[in-house]
Amino acid sequence: MTTLGRILIVEDDPNDVELTLTALADYNLANEVVITRDGQQALDYLYCRGEFSTRATGNPAVMLLDLKLPKVDGLEVLQQIKSDERLKMIPVVVLTSSHEEKDVMRSYSLGVNAYVVKPVDFHEFVNAVKELGVFWAVINAPPPGSVTK
Amino acid sequence: MTRLAEEPTRGVRRPLTYWNPEFQRIHSPILRYGFSVVSVTIAFAVAFALQHFRFRDVEVPVFTVAIAFTTWYAGAGPSVLAVVLCSVCFDYFFTEPLYSLEISNRDLPYFFIFLAWAGIVASFSAVRRRIEDSLRKTRDNLQVEVKQRRRQEDEIRKLNQELSQRAAELEATNEELESFAYSVSHDLRAPLRHMAGYSELLQRQASSALDEKSQRFIRTILDSAKRMGNLIDDLLAFSRIGRAETRKTAVDLEHLVQEVVAEIGQDTKDRDIAWKIGALPVCYGDRSMLKLVVTNLVSNAVKFTRMRRPAEIEIGCVDRNEKEVEVFVRDNGAGFDMQYINKLFGVFQRLHLPEQFEGTGIGLATVQRIVHRHGGKVRGEGTVDQGATFYFSLPKAQGPAERKANAP
Repeated sequence: MTTLGRILIVEDDPNDVELTLTALADYNLANEVVITRDGQQALDYLYCRGEFSTRATGNPAVMLLDLKLPKVDGLEVLQQIKSDERLKMIPVVVLTSSHEEKDVMRSYSLGVNAYVVKPVDFHEFVNAVKELGVFWAVINAPPPGSVTK
Repeated sequence: MTRLAEEPTRGVRRPLTYWNPEFQRIHSPILRYGFSVVSVTIAFAVAFALQHFRFRDVEVPVFTVAIAFTTWYAGAGPSVLAVVLCSVCFDYFFTEPLYSLEISNRDLPYFFIFLAWAGIVASFSAVRRRIEDSLRKTRDNLQVEVKQRRRQEDEIRKLNQELSQRAAELEATNEELESFAYSVSHDLRAPLRHMAGYSELLQRQASSALDEKSQRFIRTILDSAKRMGNLIDDLLAFSRIGRAETRKTAVDLEHLVQEVVAEIGQDTKDRDIAWKIGALPVCYGDRSMLKLVVTNLVSNAVKFTRMRRPAEIEIGCVDRNEKEVEVFVRDNGAGFDMQYINKLFGVFQRLHLPEQFEGTGIGLATVQRIVHRHGGKVRGEGTVDQGATFYFSLPKAQGPAERKANAP
């Protein structure tokens, strides 16, 4: 556990943001987390434009993406990322409430790296987020050019 | 149909009383016989006149023309009359001895040739008339048939239209249902997760400050949120079964049951259960759905025999007939009162208190829905505290040879 990758969270619900951060904080994974609240903001972050035009370049080690988002929804963001040469290497994990087959199928056909349904039970939720954080931000070797600490 | 068949004749008769243009024939029998007499008279007059101007031997063709006209326009009876009249006239006025009905031996062949000639003309006309009549009849029949066909086509078109409308409505309803399920799946679970999450955080944060009662309240909130989460998940799974396509193949039920029993056996190692699995056939259906049916029934049996030592669970089949097979799962557990049988397979219907046996009450509804989608039936039998038996029927797979041919 020498390096810790940056985690980009795309989540519109403030409660879910807080719960996810709490879960990550429990395992000391919360210090390299960027929160964006809709698909547009997430794309702005990835392309270093708008409010993120001054940020240091570099892709996140993993992106946790909700599907139901205002403005640009999760599947559109996913499509945009996977069709862009510079961004398609970013591992994207869909983290959503729904396990409708339709969503799962669309996500995988767009090239998502993992699909995780948020469990209702808090312990399970914390566990799921922890496993995700540990695997993608610590165990997994991120693609070159990712921001690590 | 009889009404229709009568229509063409009635329609033709109406405009004229004397003349039938369709049949090229005079209507009334009196007029027809009159026509016969008149035409013979005219022929006679013409023949007489011609003879007067010393044209020889023209009476036979003239009379034959009269007979032909009569046959053509007045039919068989009048033509016979015309033949008779012509013969008499011919005999009386034109053969020796004149003005007598006697025929001399010399003229006899001549007379017979005339008769034969008249007969041939009359019969030709009659044959033509008969052929025409039958053609006309066939045409009428065809017309009736065409009309009927057209009406049937109209009806089919109308039914098709209704059907496609119904299909469109159904599709709209299905879409609505789908978007409903989608939004339930997305939006209803989020607040639940927050309730559970924040209660958990509250418990963690303030557990030292809270008394036993408050702790219990928080636990109840957590349990309820979890339970509601399960209910939503079960309901979504149930609605998915109704919407998902079935992928039907030959399914070895015995293998399937053994698989399910082995999986459930993992969780019931500490229980004393006497399993009895009979020979089961191969049937035709969606394997994952049928597995859900067996899993639901077997786990119900395991659940409701919790207090039995040993619990006896039997899975077997009754060979109903050549087309379908009936599988049963029997246990010696809590059973149920047969008077509530109609509630047994309902969604969220439960016959036991949650403290006695946990569950959301969707298992048997799922079983019923899957079996119905396979064209089978479900039923249950039970006695309180004696156990219950659940049956479901399924269509059998085709013969073994065909089955192998169809196997991937």
